[in-house]
Amino acid sequence: MEIRPGSILLVSLLLSGCSWFHRGDKGPPPVVAESSQDEPPIVQPQVTRREVKTPHIKAKDFELGAYYGALSIEDFGTNPLYGASVAYHVTEDVFLQGNVARSKAGKSSLEEVFPQITVVGESGRQFTYYDADVGYNFLPGEVFLGKGRAYNTALYATVGMGAVKFAETDHFALNFGVGTRILVTDWLSMHLDVRDHIFESDLFGVTKNTHNVEAALGLSVFF
Amino acid sequence: MRRFLVLLLVLQACGVGPARARDQPLELIVSDPYIEMHSGPGRGYPVVYVVGRDESVVVLYSRTDWYRVRAPRGEEGWVRRSDLARTKLASGEPAPIPPYPDFATHRWEFGAGYGVYNRSNLVTSWIDFALTNSLDVEGVLQESFGTLDNRTIATIGLRHTFVPEWKWFSPTAGIGTGYQRLIEVVPPAPLEKSNEMMYASLGARGFINQKFMWRFDWRPYIVFNKLNKNEELEEWKFGLAVFF
Repeated sequence: MEIRPGSILLVSLLLSGCSWFHRGDKGPPPVVAESSQDEPPIVQPQVTRREVKTPHIKAKDFELGAYYGALSIEDFGTNPLYGASVAYHVTEDVFLQGNVARSKAGKSSLEEVFPQITVVGESGRQFTYYDADVGYNFLPGEVFLGKGRAYNTALYATVGMGAVKFAETDHFALNFGVGTRILVTDWLSMHLDVRDHIFESDLFGVTKNTHNVEAALGLSVFF
Repeated sequence: MRRFLVLLLVLQACGVGPARARDQPLELIVSDPYIEMHSGPGRGYPVVYVVGRDESVVVLYSRTDWYRVRAPRGEEGWVRRSDLARTKLASGEPAPIPPYPDFATHRWEFGAGYGVYNRSNLVTSWIDFALTNSLDVEGVLQESFGTLDNRTIATIGLRHTFVPEWKWFSPTAGIGTGYQRLIEVVPPAPLEKSNEMMYASLGARGFINQKFMWRFDWRPYIVFNKLNKNEELEEWKFGLAVFF
């Protein structure tokens, strides 16, 4: 496009005109406060503002606990188990839970009968699992101890997944469980859990789903 | 047993346990004709006490949608959140029941779920921190269980939520970088024990209720290895999360 000298002149004129319009806009004249300088106001406000701080309501939705019980490791006998759990109660019905626990496998029947055979080495006998579960309180209620005491309880079902480390290998594991929770006080609860940890194993040459059922008694606190 | 006692002592020391006396209590005035106090924090627990209009209750703590309160004569019970929200402060202002975390503007998210990574089972967990309403930093820690190897994968990345104000379904996309560690299950041992990776992600999220959400994610990965051609993997996963 060709730019003609006429249009340049027009644009420059327009621009200068705009600036000319703004030349008088130097802001409003300063307001001189006359009264406040010499005379004190007739009424002196004597208000001291009080800082109102609303107390914070503590939410006690988390539960931290420890448990001890027995784990039946398929083909390797039943052995003591100890673990820790943390739960977050999302609603009155649903909670999320994480568990970590450890046990040690005994001898399999094959190893009992033929002591010279070793299916799993000594270091591989550690059975460790972690899982993340969803729980549902399907039968909440109360239990009564004698005439004057009532304790809140819930029967719940959990389903989840995680990993089982056994025979020095990590296995993907599903778990299904049912448990009951009795609140001794509002912040202390007792648990009885039965959970089945299912994972695929081929230790004996055939790949199969092994069921490893645990029964554990636990104690946990709400915070 | 000793472990339990030690744990209890430690928890007590950390301030876990019964409510402390030094916490300043929140006192609320009943403005409904009455409010009901239940014996437990659940809809089915019986009503054990009733507090009338203009009487006060002291709020002790909450559990899910229920508040433990103390009536003027010392009786304690659980009041439903929606009932307590209609009480007032002594000054006449509405009760300061904290609002639910806003689904569009929440800050933190914690989740876990199931997925498939490189055609093997995957257990995943993640933490999200919202930089803005639509941009998150996402940290993921997960473990996959394959026939040949197990892999521990850690990634960090950015994720964009396209329409954060859509509650039930909102698409997301992201990019990030990560690291994987390989542990052999069946010989031969993997050529490399660990790799750096890069990923892109497409997904969606939705809110189930005021505290609970789901998330779906699909990711193609590029695994940087010492071979001539980078390994390309695919992953999808689904999980549940809570947010604060």
